[in-house]
Amino acid sequence: MQEFDHIQSLWQSHSVEVKISSDEMLAQSKKEVAGIRAKSRLNILGMILSFAALAALLLFAEFESWTTLAGLSIIVILVAVYTFILYNDHKLIAQNDFTEHPNAFLTKLKAYQVNKFTIYNKLYWVYMVALSIGLIFYFYEKLDHLSTVMQAVLILFTVVWMALCATVFRKAYLKGEKERIGLLIEKFERISAQFKESH
Amino acid sequence: MHLRRNKSLQLASKTDKAHPVENKEKLFKEIFDTNSKKIFHLCYGYTGDEDSANDLLQETFLKVWQNLDKFRNKSLISTWIYRIAVNTCLTYLRSEKRQAKDELTDNIIENRPEEFSEKNEQVALLYKSIAKLEENDRLIITMVLDELPYHEIAEISGISEGNLRVRIHRIKSKLTELYNQHARI
Repeated sequence: MQEFDHIQSLWQSHSVEVKISSDEMLAQSKKEVAGIRAKSRLNILGMILSFAALAALLLFAEFESWTTLAGLSIIVILVAVYTFILYNDHKLIAQNDFTEHPNAFLTKLKAYQVNKFTIYNKLYWVYMVALSIGLIFYFYEKLDHLSTVMQAVLILFTVVWMALCATVFRKAYLKGEKERIGLLIEKFERISAQFKESH
Repeated sequence: MHLRRNKSLQLASKTDKAHPVENKEKLFKEIFDTNSKKIFHLCYGYTGDEDSANDLLQETFLKVWQNLDKFRNKSLISTWIYRIAVNTCLTYLRSEKRQAKDELTDNIIENRPEEFSEKNEQVALLYKSIAKLEENDRLIITMVLDELPYHEIAEISGISEGNLRVRIHRIKSKLTELYNQHARI
């Protein structure tokens, strides 16, 4: 039969180690946001590279039909507009630091999440329709020189790829982002709540 | 030591205008180095799990960092930090929908099979017994075990000192009973 004094001495004899320093702790807190920022930057970089490749094609390749030029122009403009939209969204999370300005950052992170869902829901369908129109124009001349089988294969591949992007990949991406940003918002709200209540 | 901490806070606020960021970082480092071990032990006692305790420690000190300028020297800074930690612990497990407390405490034994000894077994039993207590009681008893003065525990937990004494007496008896029960199994 043990007394409370024994329990107390047992507690005090069990030494615990804090494995991080204050600097590491603050750095760790910033790391989660840095992950979202990096992903957003990669997304924009991908769009910029696509824009550069398509613009180069538009400027330096020779086309016989006006439809190819029109198709490619539509796609280039589309990529440029969406890159701009993504950049504007990125600016929301790029300028603030949660450890320094918690409430301002939380507001911006929520706006970022809402924008992200608009981009990958409503705006995504606008993107798909415009891209399809662009591709139809582009293929009008380009596929003309190919055999019927090759034409069918290329069209089928494009349709299947776009359908996959619009359904499976888009949904998986949205689900991942929703969980990632949602958890972060929940955590930041929890951290901010105590001092919101007392002020 | 607490008096020194309050002095350093006042000193920091006077020199804030010159190098605000460096001063804040220096002050925070000092506060972290002085208090992190006790806060980590509190969180560890509450969750019985090292990873969760680390998360709670991080959340607690992130709040401290963000609200350092709001600390008004009305109480000891350690009391203020404990109060933040207690609030953090109480909201954390609920929102994270963590595992049941029994499962959490079992992790202590499972995590360290290589360090098996009679003393470690007793420590594991102690954490297992603490985990059987109510959430608030767990936090109060860890502060008692860390020998915090009763008036500070009362301030941190928001209970009057008279009520706290009665409650601590009851928790001590309950914990001793639980520990002895586990020790017999």
